[in-house]
Amino acid sequence: MGERLPEPHPLLQVTDLSIRIGSVGENLVDGVSLRMNAGETLCIVGESGCGKSLTALALMGLLPTPPLRLMSGRAEFGGQDLFSLSSQDLNHIRGGEMAMIFQEPMTSLNPALTIGEQIAESVRRHRGGTRTEALDRALEMLRRVRIPAPEKRLGEYPHQMSGGMRQRAMIAMALANDPRLLIADEPTTALDVTVQQQVLDLIRALQAETGAGLVLITHDLGVVAEMADQVAVMYAGRIVESGPVAAIFDDPQHPYTIGLMSSMPALGARSGRLVTIPGIVPPANAMPKGCRFAARCPFAMPDCAKAPPLADLGGGHRVACWNAPLEQAFPAMAVAG
Amino acid sequence: MLSFLGRRVLIAIPTVLLISVFVFALQKFLPGDPVLALAGEDRNPEMLAFLREKYRLNDPLYLQYFHWIGNALRGDLGISLRTQQPVLELIGQKLPVTVQLAVMALIFAVVIGIPAGVISAYKKGTWIDWLANIISLSGLSVPNFWLGIMLILLVSVKLGWLPASGYQPLTEDPLQSLRTMLMPAFVLGSGLAATLMRHTRSAMLGVLQSDYVRTARAKGLNERTVVLKHALRNALVPIVTVVTLLFGELLAGAVLTEQIFTIPGFGKLVVDAVFNRDYAVVQGIVLCTAIAFIAMNILADALYRILNPRMRDQ
Ligand SMILES: Nc1ncnc2c1ncn2[C@@H]1O[C@H](COP(=O)(O)OP(=O)(O)OP(=O)(O)O)[C@@H](O)[C@H]1O
Ligand code: SF4
Ligand SMILES: [Mg+2]
Repeated sequence: MGERLPEPHPLLQVTDLSIRIGSVGENLVDGVSLRMNAGETLCIVGESGCGKSLTALALMGLLPTPPLRLMSGRAEFGGQDLFSLSSQDLNHIRGGEMAMIFQEPMTSLNPALTIGEQIAESVRRHRGGTRTEALDRALEMLRRVRIPAPEKRLGEYPHQMSGGMRQRAMIAMALANDPRLLIADEPTTALDVTVQQQVLDLIRALQAETGAGLVLITHDLGVVAEMADQVAVMYAGRIVESGPVAAIFDDPQHPYTIGLMSSMPALGARSGRLVTIPGIVPPANAMPKGCRFAARCPFAMPDCAKAPPLADLGGGHRVACWNAPLEQAFPAMAVAG
Repeated sequence: MLSFLGRRVLIAIPTVLLISVFVFALQKFLPGDPVLALAGEDRNPEMLAFLREKYRLNDPLYLQYFHWIGNALRGDLGISLRTQQPVLELIGQKLPVTVQLAVMALIFAVVIGIPAGVISAYKKGTWIDWLANIISLSGLSVPNFWLGIMLILLVSVKLGWLPASGYQPLTEDPLQSLRTMLMPAFVLGSGLAATLMRHTRSAMLGVLQSDYVRTARAKGLNERTVVLKHALRNALVPIVTVVTLLFGELLAGAVLTEQIFTIPGFGKLVVDAVFNRDYAVVQGIVLCTAIAFIAMNILADALYRILNPRMRDQ
């Protein structure tokens, strides 16, 4: 690597985001920092309950507060600080420049409104125009997400569609206003295995068409390998490792990431949830003070009672582990890994 | 939708017939001889026999029933033993008064109860929510007659703003009619408003946490649209059912409220008829009430289907 060029202005930069439930206990999301450039795909990966959705919801200003509380953090999107915007300015951005697809396709659409209406109202909110124009745009979007018989679907209600079709409709809704950033929270988890790949392919194709940046949340390393430019691995509310996708897959440094990799079935297979690392995630009310992975970590040592910082190993590859880089701590690993 | 309504009306017919048998039977087993009541002081046996014959009280019961229901189907519900007026005419005179009272009360209930429920759910845990809950709790616990009397004392006697009684038909003097009905309707509607507020609040609390409300916010819609278009619309589905169930309460309350404000409505007709053993009138009233109930239910079901697209395909 030669001279480091000044990095381009990021599309999204999150710094030290912490979220807590109520006023006592430990943070559910603790000091999360993320950074991505326009048009890139950032994958956030981690086991169920590690705070991926909370992070995404916080960025959209959708955290249920109370009971949850934003304790600290800054989120810059296109130069604006999302957390200090007025609700009016925030409403201007969300659904417009920044849109989100949710984890629950079956319940995320309003059962009392037609699909067409639900897409069109978002279009009118951000672009103005007549109802007819908005419905035209909705129809165009339904075509683009390859929903069969889009004219008919426009007047249908969510209960008349399958989960996969609903998620496509959600994608159509989210992309209707050409966002610069799309946050997709486990968009395929709730879907049939056969449909999952189709929906992922669709998201990737549309992203290529529109040039939107993508924050893709998943618990599936196969998806990460397929989609990501940048990766952030989360464990129990913290980022434990992050960096370019090649660095993470070729040279995983955090014991948790390594555990994930070795429990990954085979690249591309969508079935396995990542739960084969022995032990369980510490519950929110019993978070260890130091490294949150210590109870499950084969390399744990006395030092690990202090929380390790997310340290840069070079090339944007960051790891939060006292033993990183592992090759130095355990020279034998270099061969074994 | 039309075929749905048609089907529901067809299904309702046997129900109405069953109710008519029940009403007729109940009436016959009540203690007291209507002929004695009718004859009053004049108890001479010939007179009694004549009256028995005239009102077919000597026929076997089933014949009396067929006679009655046959006439009823032709719109002849018999003659009031007391006033000698056709029952249908009596009902036709009194029913509109009560319907006006009930409709005005329902409007009060909806206009107060639903917005209060929406606001208190949206502002859950704030002083506004507390206030709304305290008011609705008082609305539920204050008896109608007490509220009625207090209002009469305050608004009519002390302030002289509204008349305490003196009903005017809507057709003759609409403004005066509305003025005289305002207090009774408020008294009758207040309890319903309280019930409606509580149901609206709990329905809204559930809906406001739903994923689709989160989606609506994610689209950048303003809170007004999120709450009214996305949340309330779905919360209305269970609320419509509650309103239907309130219909019975509304009728019972109307009878009482008419007594407090001396309104010459259905309530007075019912009370007079029962005390005087005026069989024909009681039968007519119960039959009409039953039909009104069934009609309300059909209406509510129709509304339910309009609000809830998931019901429409079934
Ligand atoms: N509304 C809430 N109230 C209380 N706790 C919550 C709430 N939402 C999330 N949590 C808790 O916060 C933690 C992180 O939740 P989050 O939904 O972000 O997990 P996730 O990484 O998205 O998991 P999954 O893969 O299952 O979606 C979990 O322990 C969860 O129980
Ligand atoms: S800091 Fe210690 S406990 Fe935590 S991952 Fe590294 S070695 Fe394991
Ligand atoms: Mg989640």
